[in-house]
Amino acid sequence: MKLELHDLVKRYGKTRALDGLSLTIASTRVLVLIGPSGGGKSTLLRVLGGLETADEGTVEVNGRELGATPQALLEYRRRNGFLFQQFNLFPHMTALRNIALPLEKAHGRSPSEALALAEQSLARFGLLDHAHKRPAELSGGQQQRVGIARAVAHQPEVLFLDEPTSALDPEMTAEVLELIQELAEAGQDIILSTHEMGFARAVADQIAFVAAGKIEELAKPSVLFSTPESAICQRFLSRVMRY
Amino acid sequence: MANIAVALILMGFAAWLYTAVFAVLGSQTQWSKAWEYRETLWQGWLVTLGISVAALAGSVVFGLLFLFGQRSPLVVVRWTCRAFLEFVRDTPLLVHLLFGYFVIFAPLLSRPLAEQGWNDKLIIGILLLSVFEGAYLGEILRGGVESIPKTQWEAARAVGFSRLQIYRYVIFPQALRRVLPAMAGLFVSLIKDSSLLNVIGVAEYFYNTRNFISRSYAGLEAYVPLALGYLILTLPVAWLAHWLERRFRHET
Repeated sequence: MKLELHDLVKRYGKTRALDGLSLTIASTRVLVLIGPSGGGKSTLLRVLGGLETADEGTVEVNGRELGATPQALLEYRRRNGFLFQQFNLFPHMTALRNIALPLEKAHGRSPSEALALAEQSLARFGLLDHAHKRPAELSGGQQQRVGIARAVAHQPEVLFLDEPTSALDPEMTAEVLELIQELAEAGQDIILSTHEMGFARAVADQIAFVAAGKIEELAKPSVLFSTPESAICQRFLSRVMRY
Repeated sequence: MANIAVALILMGFAAWLYTAVFAVLGSQTQWSKAWEYRETLWQGWLVTLGISVAALAGSVVFGLLFLFGQRSPLVVVRWTCRAFLEFVRDTPLLVHLLFGYFVIFAPLLSRPLAEQGWNDKLIIGILLLSVFEGAYLGEILRGGVESIPKTQWEAARAVGFSRLQIYRYVIFPQALRRVLPAMAGLFVSLIKDSSLLNVIGVAEYFYNTRNFISRSYAGLEAYVPLALGYLILTLPVAWLAHWLERRFRHET
């Protein structure tokens, strides 16, 4: 995917979550955002995912500028996939229906087609046994995996994952990360934010260090983890790698 | 043991009340009177049923209008809705009916409706009742919709649902389940409140029963059917609500 962001500003009241953020990437498959909490990772992902519009600046994804009208953003969201930390699934529907309903209503598939695609997507991630369970009957890890199965069921251009494992225990974290790695290896374009540095290093083609509403550093993982340039990134890495 | 004792005491009390009342009124009670007037009572009951069904549908329409009005992106619409709701909820239905009928709607609508061969009192009464109950329903629905966590809106947006689809497939199914008991209570109230339409001269069940009383000096033989007539309408609503509640309880 190709990204071009110029001077993005996003304000929440007095705080500037994005403070003149710019980023240019000609081509990459998996982009991982790391950085301190409150540094703007989530906001950046939400703007990129079309869930939020920046107050200033321009966003271009794969050569197309992000529209600002609700209709344009809706179309954009339908082309992509997005997963939050938790509570992605609709609790009053089974796992299968959680996937099939958006395919039917948002992507215009016929009910039978939607159902078949949903089953296929669950099967792909070994979740078919859980097809007829409601989210409350699934573990946190299974919920996230169903969430990912839903987010990729319509073959999105880009998959956005906002700290997909932050609400999970280590074992469940592993099962979700494995699945994401599988998707990355299958060629899915992904932009994700995470606090799992080991995973970031393993899966990323490019790593962006986001702090104070700006991209402080952008590099390949091997470079960024061994020789971080900025002082703030060095401090962050030495702190999170200590234990 | 305690249950049985209390049940016996309550039954004894009920029996005592029953015999005491009948000792006084029994000699004057002639059930044949009610039978004589069965036609007008039946007509009145049917009108009450009609009003209830129509106002129930009407209150849903107004309830949704008030709900969306209060969630409108336009501040003016929100505040107008809010002010109107407060006015409606803080004044008695009796006042609405009298004021709404004699001051607002009768001068405007009575003639055109009558020319069309409609019963203007009935139509306006249903409309006023719908607005009144709709105001309460709107608040109940708003409470339900606002009780759904923000994460559900986000998730629904993320999967590409439009605004309308978010309400229809994600928010309403969850919200309605939560407000079902309150809604059932409101619909039962609506049926009972329809009796107030007698003040603008709608010939519904209460109105016809009162006429029957004043013409025949009936007592018990009028009030017992009156109470039963309303129970026949309200109990099914209450039962249906309990049944739905139980059915949906395990689904969240």
